[in-house]
Amino acid sequence: MIFNGISQTIENSAFSSTIASSEWMFPTIETIHVIAIVTVIGAIAIMDMRLLGLTSGNRTVRAIAHDTLPVTWVAFALATVTGLLLFVSKATSYMVNPYFLWKFAFMIVAGINMAVFHRYVSKGMDDWGAPAHAIPLNAKLAGALSLALWVAIPFCGRVIGFTLGVYYTS
Amino acid sequence: MSIFDWLFHMTELLRNTPLVEFSLRVSDWPFALWLQSHFYAIPAFQTVHILAIAILFASTLMLSLRVLGINGLDQSLADSMRRYRPWIWSALLALFVSGIVLLISEPVRNMINAIFWIKMSLLAVAVAFSFAFQRSIRMRMATWEVSPDGHVSLRIGAVAIILLWCAVMAGGRWIAYAPV
Repeated sequence: MIFNGISQTIENSAFSSTIASSEWMFPTIETIHVIAIVTVIGAIAIMDMRLLGLTSGNRTVRAIAHDTLPVTWVAFALATVTGLLLFVSKATSYMVNPYFLWKFAFMIVAGINMAVFHRYVSKGMDDWGAPAHAIPLNAKLAGALSLALWVAIPFCGRVIGFTLGVYYTS
Repeated sequence: MSIFDWLFHMTELLRNTPLVEFSLRVSDWPFALWLQSHFYAIPAFQTVHILAIAILFASTLMLSLRVLGINGLDQSLADSMRRYRPWIWSALLALFVSGIVLLISEPVRNMINAIFWIKMSLLAVAVAFSFAFQRSIRMRMATWEVSPDGHVSLRIGAVAIILLWCAVMAGGRWIAYAPV
């Protein structure tokens, strides 16, 4: 399979083997990854729960988005960079791991959900949650889907830790 | 002596304490055996643990950013406290419960581990600091927008509490990499 060849090449690069063979690099990058992803999940949950009308009822959706979006993007960038570094050090083991593939698929769905939300669903967001202005059902559904995905993503991430090296390519 | 040698030495000392016998006994509890024998049990409780720290950390971050004057300026500091304080302490409770379950799932790996005890010490400091931080906010929040009294010390505290929780999370991740 072509992916196997590519991930093998990535894993064998000097850069990747430096991370893989170091005593402290992998856990240090992993620590930053955990802190970043924890921040992403927490900030997104604040926004999602506002969309669902569960919290911050005294503030508009726009105000909550203003508070949480910059935090989300900075932390997400950090999670992506550290995630890539972790990936390249063990590329072949990750590419055959079903939980890694599920985690990746869930993240793509979460990304599409967010893009659709900001491009289409969020029209008229300035009024949402202001007195006498309801939040549309589409926005609530986007919030619920996002919450569910961000529960599934760390779960898959944790299972990867228990199954790395269990799956092999034939 | 490197930090790894020191951690190794500390774990050696833990091996000569009654913690060994205690953790071995815990690992024979029916609940511990149940956790060990169900593949998804430990990652599921780890996920609860991660979601709980996500709520606690993001809530603390939002409160700290409000104190720093970066975020949430459309609401008062008192409003920010009302929104995030209950979530911080409820999430801490969820962290304790899921953490105890995880401790029972692998008692020896945790209790005979210097990094676990470093994490617990950092946790105690972070919890005590959170109490003190929120107490100071409550004392200042009525006059926060009109008087600069206490702004500097509370803003230092806002940065410190974020760094402290990061240190606790780092401790959690490094439990798995303790030199043994």
